[in-house]
Amino acid sequence: MSQPMSAAAYHRPRSLREALSCMDQTPNARLIAGGTDLLVKQRKERPGVAAPLISLRSVSELRQIDIDGERLRIGSAVPLTDVAASPGLAERFPVLVDSIRVLGSRQIRNVATLGGNLCNASPAADTAPALLTLDATVELVGTDGTRELPLAEFLHGPGQTALMPGEILTAVILDPPPPGAGMAFLRKGRVKMDLAIVSLAVVLSMDGDVCVQARLAAGAVAPVPLRLDAAESILVGSQLDAATIQRAQAAAQAAIAPISDLRSSADYRRRLLGVYVKRGVSAAVHAAGGRS
Amino acid sequence: MSDVAITFELNGRTTPLRIQPQLRLIDVLRDSLGLTGTKEGCSEGECGACTVLVDGRTVNSCLFPAIEADGCKVTTVEGLVGPGGCLSTVQEAFLEGGGVQCGFCTPGMIMTAAEFLEEHADPTEAEIREALTGNLCRCTGYVQIVDSIQRAAHRHRSDNRQQGAET
Repeated sequence: MSQPMSAAAYHRPRSLREALSCMDQTPNARLIAGGTDLLVKQRKERPGVAAPLISLRSVSELRQIDIDGERLRIGSAVPLTDVAASPGLAERFPVLVDSIRVLGSRQIRNVATLGGNLCNASPAADTAPALLTLDATVELVGTDGTRELPLAEFLHGPGQTALMPGEILTAVILDPPPPGAGMAFLRKGRVKMDLAIVSLAVVLSMDGDVCVQARLAAGAVAPVPLRLDAAESILVGSQLDAATIQRAQAAAQAAIAPISDLRSSADYRRRLLGVYVKRGVSAAVHAAGGRS
Repeated sequence: MSDVAITFELNGRTTPLRIQPQLRLIDVLRDSLGLTGTKEGCSEGECGACTVLVDGRTVNSCLFPAIEADGCKVTTVEGLVGPGGCLSTVQEAFLEGGGVQCGFCTPGMIMTAAEFLEEHADPTEAEIREALTGNLCRCTGYVQIVDSIQRAAHRHRSDNRQQGAET
């Protein structure tokens, strides 16, 4: 059964320059990468409405993973399957690879992209908490030039980002991970394919028994995936004893604004985040020890 | 907006056609080309009944713009059948293992199994179940499906050993 909207234009630029000029000439067009969110949304929310699409799938500059000095630059349109399999990534950034491995299904990961996951700006985006704990930067390119933003400043709200009209998120940039850091990613969904009820990423460094760095970020518990700064400050400088962990759990629970929806009540989300802070810290300490 | 011309290799055969720009791959396969082995279940990438291979990788053809298949190799369940109509190892294994109940999910399950078995010669049950995350069986016949995939893996391994012994 062919859809009425299928007659609308579909542009396939081959280069970033071509993509930018195509956006300039087609101001009402939407960008599509893997399409696993966009096409579902378009069908549900705007049946029969013909929006032209500009595909980033063939834009060569966005399909590369390369090393730029110390930094790793992941093209925004690289399929997640290829991001996860990129040489050395699982060793250096296991928290990111773990978040990709639980995202959707293999059919989804074969086409979905980091750029799409971030620009769709779901509060439950699986890669966002992991990238937040890695202090990721996003690169945005428009006709006026290139700018970089910390990911935390890019995510504004459900479906809302810092992307300006005519701009493309071209890459996710990662600085080297803190030396000796242990990482963990936890995620709860009703079933694997469903959106997360709660997710938590942890990146943590120890000096002997003392925690010297802690980065925690949670998903699906607030309008945007967010860093849990107060919990982090409580953990740093401590020996991660039971009382400290309890205080960090409480700080994390106080920092979020969960909603009740068909997947979970707000109370359950808050309670589960507390459990995850304890488990995530413990798993990251274990991972750090395993490496030293 | 006028139609666009695309050409892809479908089950080994070069296939040129003209399509509406935003048509989904599943519409082209089923309606334009008559390959109805690929099923449409949920239409939103949850159920996997529409799974096909594009350049050897599983995708949900209900979420894949047909225009993006231009220049690619597309394999549907019909394309797994060998010369003379003989079924592939995975297809045989599903028949023997009782991996087919109502049959609606079967083509998608088989395409996912085909990709998965390329990467995993000797998979565990947990790995198989993980691989099937994006394929739903509405009859809930997962035990036999997992068993069928294990059976196919076993058959692949013994075929490979035999080939190794012959050469």
